[in-house]
Amino acid sequence: MRGALSNAKGRLKRFWRGLREWCGDAAYENYKKGAMRRGQENVLSPTEFYVEQLKKKYSQPNRCC
Amino acid sequence: MKRILQIVIWVALAVVAAAALATIALHRGEPISATWFVLAAVCSYLVAYRLYSAFIAAKLLALDNTRATPSERRDDGRDFVPTNKWVLFGHHFAAIAGPGPLVGPTLAAQFGYLPGTLWLIAGAAFAGCVQDFVILFCSIRRDGKTLGEMARVEVSRRGGFIAQLAVLSIMIILLGVVALVIVNALKSSPWATFTLAATIPIALLLGAYLRYVRPGRVLEASLMGVALVLFAVVAGQWVSDSASWSRAFTLSGLALTFAIIVYGFAASALPVWLLLAPRDYLSTFIKAGAIFSLAAGILFVRPHVLMPPLTRFVDGNGPVFAGRIFPFCFITIACGAISGFHSLISSGTTPKMIQRESHARFIGYGAMLLESFVGVMAMVAACAMTPGVYFAINSPAQIVGAAPEAAAQTISSWGYPVSAVTMASLAHSVGEQTLWNRAGGAPSLAVGMAQIFSTTIGGEHLLSIWYHFAIMFEALFILTVLDAGTRVGRFMIQELLGRVWKPIGRLNWYPAILLSSAMIVGAWGYFLYQGVVDPLGGINSLWPLFGISNQLLAAVALVVATTILLKMGRFKWIWVTLLPMAWLVVITMTASYQKIFSANPRIGFLSFANALAAQIAGGQIPAAKIGETQRVIFNQRLDTAVTAVLTIMILVLLGEAIVQWHALLSRGKEPVLHETPYVATQWAEGD
Repeated sequence: MRGALSNAKGRLKRFWRGLREWCGDAAYENYKKGAMRRGQENVLSPTEFYVEQLKKKYSQPNRCC
Repeated sequence: MKRILQIVIWVALAVVAAAALATIALHRGEPISATWFVLAAVCSYLVAYRLYSAFIAAKLLALDNTRATPSERRDDGRDFVPTNKWVLFGHHFAAIAGPGPLVGPTLAAQFGYLPGTLWLIAGAAFAGCVQDFVILFCSIRRDGKTLGEMARVEVSRRGGFIAQLAVLSIMIILLGVVALVIVNALKSSPWATFTLAATIPIALLLGAYLRYVRPGRVLEASLMGVALVLFAVVAGQWVSDSASWSRAFTLSGLALTFAIIVYGFAASALPVWLLLAPRDYLSTFIKAGAIFSLAAGILFVRPHVLMPPLTRFVDGNGPVFAGRIFPFCFITIACGAISGFHSLISSGTTPKMIQRESHARFIGYGAMLLESFVGVMAMVAACAMTPGVYFAINSPAQIVGAAPEAAAQTISSWGYPVSAVTMASLAHSVGEQTLWNRAGGAPSLAVGMAQIFSTTIGGEHLLSIWYHFAIMFEALFILTVLDAGTRVGRFMIQELLGRVWKPIGRLNWYPAILLSSAMIVGAWGYFLYQGVVDPLGGINSLWPLFGISNQLLAAVALVVATTILLKMGRFKWIWVTLLPMAWLVVITMTASYQKIFSANPRIGFLSFANALAAQIAGGQIPAAKIGETQRVIFNQRLDTAVTAVLTIMILVLLGEAIVQWHALLSRGKEPVLHETPYVATQWAEGD
């Protein structure tokens, strides 16, 4: 029973993580982690990163017919 | 033992797929259960994915998981971001799934359910999925290069320019035609117009929240937005019931046309975070929810398909659009079977985020299968309503008559009984003033969806809410395509004009932004206006034009893919891309020829223009209508020119590619492949 519960909890956690990644919620956290890993000095603020991402995303076809 | 069991399971699935396809193909007389459609589609997709995509991955592309992908080599946390394959599948599917697979099958239902369903399933498995998968692979091997760049580098400089022009043309026609679908759905409908108008302040509110309050917190903002939009759907009924508010939101086709043109200009010129992006978030969540609910509803309700397998309109005299099954069924259903536009997504952000080459099979081939399934569900929803009702909603007044009684008589005389009383009662139940002559596909799909949803939850008295939810869902994500497409079109125009005069190319110079926004909005706005004033309803001329341009772009993508594969020495399996390419060239050339030269004025642009000119010359047009008729004549000639230019472009590209293929096959030329050099992955298997 406990095993099944922790299994379900693990699945829910993975689903939640996937959902946050899919909708873009986790994008800044991932960017920051990556920047730290690369030893990058000029890290963008959440607002700067958000606006920059949008500008890039909507400058090429990203919604189809 | 395990291997034998696997073989037995896959053989059983193939047998079920064949049996279900045979049942829907050979069934005559009584209505058929939608379960057969779901079984035929799902089992065919599973078999195609397991066998055909595996064959392409192994033999044609030889996917190599030891090779580092662009997201590993160039990981910068911004453009190149290694992404989990399920998350990327979701991104890719959200990007390729637009209104096309909903509207196209609904329009093609005028031939009956059979031609469209077979094309949706077979076209996706053998053409659409192949295009998306192979282009994604080619782009991964070239650091995420776009289709235009690959055409320029691998085919010819002119090829790149042609691809770029084809993309801009298709964008303009696409935006004009999808805007027309919205206009026809909102015309004289205060409830639907209010709901859609309410999404604009909701999007602005979300935009401000995401920019200033909680930057980038998309999930919470979208959930708030979705709740507000659902409230707007309910509030639409109060607006519709109030005499003064109802008057304010009851707009004519022309008034809606200008409102959408102004909106498109604003969405292109305003900062992206303010209107475009938040609307896209709203649309994505509602799209995912509505598609999932439609699938669940069809499985739960298992409606009976009332439309016959083949209608009398296979002869080419259909009221929704004119033309025989070949080639027009394959032009009308583009996105659910094969869509050139997908090649832009497969060579856009997806290749920059993929973790391993083998994921290209799941994402490229798999997402397109899911898109095709959306098309099959739309076909089921459209065909589950009484055929007489379907034709009453989708036929223009010029064909069936403007008065309800006369229209009902015309449609009933075709063998699809419907009465004015039935239509009035249906319009009343869905909260509309009328459902007659609402060509465009959206209202009939909304009626079909509402009937399925209301059978699942709420019954008859929630029919009007479900209908307006479905209209809002379709219109919302059409507007998202309109916003995003207008903005990208603006960049393309700035890039092209920037070659002539540099300042125009500057993306942050406001005069350039305003000028290029006005140009792109003016271009698609003209096609929209043309559709609204078209005496045959607009969809008859514009949807085939959109289908032709979209399929021509798919042909461009497959020409590029074939060239790259020949350079890679994959001669033996080249038919995998060559056959769908040849099929697309044949259907688009035939359709283009018929649209230009057919003697039937409902099909041929020129014969329609000539017929109208003859009517003016013969004094059959009243003096007050002469100016309007001359505009229609001009529009028909413009459509002729657009079709001819698109056709010539693809013929030039094909000619250049054939010369290159001949040189490669006869070994007269050493192949020069522009792949990025091999770099071994540093990631362990399973990373």
